[in-house]
Amino acid sequence: MDDDAPDSFDLRCLLDNVQGMVDALTCLRWKKQQDAICELSDHGLVITVEERGCLQARVYFRKELFREYDYQAEIRPKFGVSLGLLIDSLNTFTSSTGTTALELCYPGPDMQMILKLVDANDSCIYAEIRTRIPDIIPHDYVIEDDGGIPISFAVKSAALKEALDDLEWPGSSIGITVSPVPPAVTFRGEGHGDLQIEFPYDRQRDLFIAFNCHHEISHRYKYKFLKATTAQIPGSILKDNRGSKLSFGANGLLKVQHLISVKPTLTPHQHFYDPSQAQARVSYIEFYVLPEAESDDP
Amino acid sequence: MKFKAFLTDHGVALLERRFLPAFEKIGKTCHVYLTPVHFILLHNVLNSDGVQAIAQFSKDVVFDDYRISSQNQDRIAFTVDLTLLLRALKSSVSIYGDKLQVKLVRKRPSLSERPMPYLTFESKGLKSAIIQDVPISQPLNRIDVQELQSSLDMAQELPRTLVQVPELQHLIGLIDRIGKLGEVLEVAVTQYGDLHLQVSQTMVSLGSEYRKLRVIGVRADPTSMGSASSSASRLQQALQKGEASKVFVNMKHFAKSLQCHLTRPDAAFCGVGAVDSCLYMMFQYFIPGTRQTDNTISLHYRLPVLDPGGA
Repeated sequence: MDDDAPDSFDLRCLLDNVQGMVDALTCLRWKKQQDAICELSDHGLVITVEERGCLQARVYFRKELFREYDYQAEIRPKFGVSLGLLIDSLNTFTSSTGTTALELCYPGPDMQMILKLVDANDSCIYAEIRTRIPDIIPHDYVIEDDGGIPISFAVKSAALKEALDDLEWPGSSIGITVSPVPPAVTFRGEGHGDLQIEFPYDRQRDLFIAFNCHHEISHRYKYKFLKATTAQIPGSILKDNRGSKLSFGANGLLKVQHLISVKPTLTPHQHFYDPSQAQARVSYIEFYVLPEAESDDP
Repeated sequence: MKFKAFLTDHGVALLERRFLPAFEKIGKTCHVYLTPVHFILLHNVLNSDGVQAIAQFSKDVVFDDYRISSQNQDRIAFTVDLTLLLRALKSSVSIYGDKLQVKLVRKRPSLSERPMPYLTFESKGLKSAIIQDVPISQPLNRIDVQELQSSLDMAQELPRTLVQVPELQHLIGLIDRIGKLGEVLEVAVTQYGDLHLQVSQTMVSLGSEYRKLRVIGVRADPTSMGSASSSASRLQQALQKGEASKVFVNMKHFAKSLQCHLTRPDAAFCGVGAVDSCLYMMFQYFIPGTRQTDNTISLHYRLPVLDPGGA
């Protein structure tokens, strides 16, 4: 509109598909009060949520996802924001129809994150979210490749979620075993009872998208953290079912990566969807789950 | 004290499909106030907390053959349970028959009890008649009726500036979403035709600004507000110039008052009462097929304002 945005913003970007961002952020929401760290860079923005020493989740919004992405900072800005508040605020903008994009700016005069959407009929919805200086720097987890290709497999997201949901019954801790002969992935829960779910690898069936295992591994993870990796995936993403990739580091560090499409909402004037844009509209959500500390179990 | 009339089809439709469902959303009971010229529904007008709502119909809109008499200038008022009233109207609609008669009666619920007042709905079919008695309160005494009348008169005082509210459905959607973020809603109306709605809490403030809305009453030239860039600074400037009013209201009250959309108003206006006494919402209905305001029906809500210190 008539707002002359000050040139001092580190980042000013325009987002078409607010719902996509809300869906992606919702995946990270495994509890009510969560502090997220947002890092801005020339490549896009990364939002990280961490349960110190147990679980970390991050979502990448590459700059290609935005209609405009104007980054001007010299040092990558990093700030803390309440994840729930960010989702609730963004949700306010999802009802808006039409072709106007959500404008996202940082920092405001008081280091706020500013969201603004101006409708065709001169109405404007805005939000100012207070940010804070992050007190911890999120740990940079890496899956060490141990000299070779790390053990990994990729399955349909819905199948993974279903298996993890079923494991709620035994609860407590879940063992994941990946074995090359016969090629299979086994989830085993021991708690109130035992439950074992096996994903046999079969080239002919489409359960697995990829399977990479040269020696057997077995690690145990706390159920509540494992569940957090799929619990909040919204139905719209599951329906898309792009697949989730699980990779294991040498020390048992588990990385769960979901690929999600952040498609722009088609307007009535836009009858086709440009496939060349498709690749740019993919965003990543990564979870790092640390294995349970070794105990004296036989 | 006597009251007897026939409800018109239009009257039944107005009450049953539109006004009673809307009133039911804001409270369980309401006052029915009958005068020689008007039929009025009032909710919560004798209290200062909570949403007040007044719907006034010219008697001919709702009734035919309207007969009323009382020692209090032919005025009668009582309270009625909205659910019961609505139920009686609904079932009378489903009976195909002659006109629906409504009258005030006194009956004994059982032989041992004292006679109680009822509003009786009687629909006569070809071979059958159905009578429904809706219990009502004892008719209000002269003082209470006077109080109703004075609150009705008071409500005629419109705010100096009213702006036309954008689409109600859009507003309901917005309040649905921002309502989660706080219990207090800041509402500001400017004389340029801007409406600001904002909810603030320690970590976030979220709001919406609607501009260039239609203004009724005192207006100011929007060019006089200078070159403010953000909506907050625009509002600040307008407040400093005395060309805007801002109040805080309970979010739930505001959400409830948006249920007025059930009455299917053709236009909705919002303004701040004199000395920031209340938030005033007024609704207009057009004569069907025209864009002329139907002066025989009116509805407005008054929302109590909160002390900004408590906001």
